[in-house]
Amino acid sequence: MNLQLLAFLILSLVTLGAAFKVITARYITHAALYLALSFVGVAGLFLLLNADFLAAVQLLVYVGAITTMLIFAIMLSQVEEIRQGAPEIGFWQRLVSPRFGLVPLAVAVALAAALLQVLSTAGWKVTVTPPDPNTTRTIGQAMFTTYLIPFEVASLVLLVAMIGAIVLTMKKEERSK
Amino acid sequence: MIPLSYVLVVSTLLFVLGVYGALLSTNAIRILMSIEIVLNAVNLNLVAFGRYITPGDPRGQIFTIFVMTVAAAEAAVGLAIILVIARRYGAAAIDRVRMLKG
Repeated sequence: MNLQLLAFLILSLVTLGAAFKVITARYITHAALYLALSFVGVAGLFLLLNADFLAAVQLLVYVGAITTMLIFAIMLSQVEEIRQGAPEIGFWQRLVSPRFGLVPLAVAVALAAALLQVLSTAGWKVTVTPPDPNTTRTIGQAMFTTYLIPFEVASLVLLVAMIGAIVLTMKKEERSK
Repeated sequence: MIPLSYVLVVSTLLFVLGVYGALLSTNAIRILMSIEIVLNAVNLNLVAFGRYITPGDPRGQIFTIFVMTVAAAEAAVGLAIILVIARRYGAAAIDRVRMLKG
């Protein structure tokens, strides 16, 4: 077994296992930490696919920003339900009830079966090339020439999201000032 | 090199796990996390196809960056909405918030 495949297997196991724990972890804080682990695993998979710039962005944006924001939101909120989020019944007991166990499970299994079926019948023409040594340069050049307008729109999206988040979480008295 | 189908199988499983989590949980924050997992699976797909089908073309990676941007914006606004709802109604469970139900 070559080393790349071994790394791939370990990383995908970590990613999938952590994603599973995000769903099943009893406390929501633990779920957020497992989410960070899952993101790290995906960053490793990006590295294996020769997307080194994206791996760094993944670590910075997802692990550094989104997960931290989630944890802050969980810890700063006063509602006990968000902090704990512990279901009264365990995961395996839940599995028996129709609304919280069987229906989502059936949907997920059907979706997985359909997607894997499509994957097994599709024939892609894979071209094997040596990896690009300068991914950052390639991405940067394309981003500021061909994809300049989407880039600007993305910055607008971020600005609007930032203003929206601030306005939404303002207290009433502050807003009327 | 890892075969393309291996990566696609992993991203499929990740996608399905995210969908399952979004359907299963009632806690709004956990649903948001599940959606992030789904977006990650999509990113993995885009990068894999970019690497194996159109090598040398950064299109897949650039699209991934845009997906990440939208995911960050979505997480920020979604969390703000959840916090406002939680503050006002004292609940973050989606089956207990029914102000739109009339």
